[in-house]
Amino acid sequence: MYKILERKEIAMRNVWFKVYAPHVVKKLQPGQFVIVRAFENGERIPLTPVMWDKEEGWMGLVVFTRGKTTMQINTELKEGDYFLNIAGPLGNPAPMKKYGKILAIGLYTGIVEVFPIAKAWQEIGNEVHTLQVTFEPMIILKDELEKAVSKHTAVGVPIDPEKSFPENMKNVTAKAREVVRDMIKEINPDLVFMVGPVGDQKAIFEVVREFNVPMLVDLHPIMVDGTGMCGACRVTVGGKVRFACVDGPTFNAYEVDFDELIKRSSYYRDLEMRAMQEYMQKLQGGAQ
Amino acid sequence: MMAKRKLMKNRVPTPEKPVYERIKGFEEVNLGYDFELALMEAERCLQCPENYAPCIKGCPVNINIPGFLAKLKEHRDNPYLAVKEALRVIWACNSLPAITGRVCPQEDQCEGVCVMGKVGDPINIGKLERFVADYARQHEIDDELLMEIVPKIEKKEQKVAVVGAGPAGLTCAAELAKMGYNVTVFEALHYPGGVLLYGIPEFRLPKEIVKNELKKLELLGVEIKTDHIVGRTITIPELIEEYDAVFISTGAGTPKLPEVPGINLNGIYSANEFLTRVNLMKAYKFPEYDTPIKLGKKTIVIGAGNTAMDAARTALRLGSEVIIAYRRGEEDMTARIEEIEHAKEEGVKFMFFVNPIEFIGDENGNVKAVKFMKMKVLNERDSNGKRKIIPTGETITVEADTVIIAIGQIPNKIIWKTTPGLEVGKNGTIVVDENLMTSIPGVFAGGDAIRGEATVILAMGDGRKAAKAIHEYLTKREKNA
Repeated sequence: MYKILERKEIAMRNVWFKVYAPHVVKKLQPGQFVIVRAFENGERIPLTPVMWDKEEGWMGLVVFTRGKTTMQINTELKEGDYFLNIAGPLGNPAPMKKYGKILAIGLYTGIVEVFPIAKAWQEIGNEVHTLQVTFEPMIILKDELEKAVSKHTAVGVPIDPEKSFPENMKNVTAKAREVVRDMIKEINPDLVFMVGPVGDQKAIFEVVREFNVPMLVDLHPIMVDGTGMCGACRVTVGGKVRFACVDGPTFNAYEVDFDELIKRSSYYRDLEMRAMQEYMQKLQGGAQ
Repeated sequence: MMAKRKLMKNRVPTPEKPVYERIKGFEEVNLGYDFELALMEAERCLQCPENYAPCIKGCPVNINIPGFLAKLKEHRDNPYLAVKEALRVIWACNSLPAITGRVCPQEDQCEGVCVMGKVGDPINIGKLERFVADYARQHEIDDELLMEIVPKIEKKEQKVAVVGAGPAGLTCAAELAKMGYNVTVFEALHYPGGVLLYGIPEFRLPKEIVKNELKKLELLGVEIKTDHIVGRTITIPELIEEYDAVFISTGAGTPKLPEVPGINLNGIYSANEFLTRVNLMKAYKFPEYDTPIKLGKKTIVIGAGNTAMDAARTALRLGSEVIIAYRRGEEDMTARIEEIEHAKEEGVKFMFFVNPIEFIGDENGNVKAVKFMKMKVLNERDSNGKRKIIPTGETITVEADTVIIAIGQIPNKIIWKTTPGLEVGKNGTIVVDENLMTSIPGVFAGGDAIRGEATVILAMGDGRKAAKAIHEYLTKREKNA
């Protein structure tokens, strides 16, 4: 049981939880994630802590409402409540090297995972430029990143209420490609790093590849245990089967089979939708 | 002179849930003996003397089998006492009889060498062991027996860390606690139990039984820390600093996958993923439970061990047609006979001498068929004593929308990657000496972590042996200090 010391809605669909979990925080390094189980009947989901304090034993999680579990966390868990399980840290720490100039991109809440890595890269002497592209009301961590890196850019795409959510997301992808292209030309980075939905990772990679700049991506396929036991998170990298949880999450974008991963990531979409709709109905029923 | 009595050649059968009923749910298939039936079966035992009895030698933990059967007969008028005394005999060698009675391959162990087997059916030792444990649990005899033991335990100062709460770790923890050590078990998942929980399905090992065993550990004062991935959350070198000895029982959790095209198609699961979703995360109750499972109409399970049978029978209960595809022949299957028979009764089909060479997908990346190479058997035997097989060159393609790979597991690499100086052998198994001590003094290991992939009872045997070795190691160290 891990106590929620603080809960705050920091942007649309983004909730910040400050959680007491000293056993995990003690070892946590930028790039690593945790597996969270919030409810008795709940699933195990990977989340990446955005910041933490080793002395005080807490970590910050930003939970983005994207399915039933995250919606339930963001709706039901209050300050003083508990997460049932937090296991970690998992995955390998991000490579801490001096690359020179780095462009680190986070789409939507992907910026949460970029934050600790970008900050650490800056601290060891890299010139780090960060970029978040998301919907306007979902911009987060702007002040924190401005303080932590050489230059931070936040681009908010307006939500068109006439259009469906997937249609709107296409606008974000298009905008991100445009901004990344401009920034690569302007900064001339030695490395691009990106976190975000796998479809967007592929879209951005296509832009980066035109400039032949090295690129790393953090992959987050579907996971069950997160410790290398189930193989749900397997990805093809450099022609080999790898487990993102123990071999990753960071991989060379040039070697990742994005098309396969896009298909693997969408396998459960219908059931995910069903679970979310049933939960929303339950919420509405409860409100009557 | 002993009264002459008629030899009963045939076993007293155990009642089983009828097939049409059991394939609809996850309730246990075999219903076990009641006291009367158990007594009838125990009567068949010839009571071989302890120093001769082949069954005792055939048991990996050397349970005094004629001894516990004699107790049942001796106190036949008092079932409560009979079971209590029988349990006392079993506990001297095995602290988890409800589990081993259900999952041990008895036909290759105690029952396989039973003298009665030469003239008729061997004694149904597994089911009798299970009866004693179940009756004890239902009547809280086990708690009572434990409470006789607990006050006599002389607490020691030393602390021992056990890594992994599966059969080896739980056994080792229980034995050490009985000797008075302060034991902490570290478990990566959110519940303790290891393979007993995530791997073996409810219909073969009800989780209530595992929970009961865990309750006993609590009574013995063992502390269990879940959510601790040793190697990540805390490392073996750190445990050595804090504890007087360490036992590594992390099992073999990494699934082997065939290196053939299409292995990453949707709908292809490792048996671990499939069983973990269903057993640990209760995906069969989705959306009441949040973890989903997707299963097609036609499932092919690759492999023929116990895990393959578990996966096949689970898929069947979730409403799929199931074929087990095995590269060797029927007589080479490694699963327990009872599991194979149950699988057949329930309608699982079998294909022999076929080896997957490609998984074929549709335009969405979902598996739709498996292409197999047909194999043929040679007269020679390989290093494992199995008949050698070679490809024939002829292939066969079988439609399937779900594939479950159950061809084995290897130990997880997190431990040895984060433990400098830990000697590791082929396939990542930890190297130990005859006392189960690793290359690091004070660090012991057992179960599948040293064996690669074996049985629950061998893991438990290691747990017990390691507890003894740790006790000797710490006693010796104390004297030298």
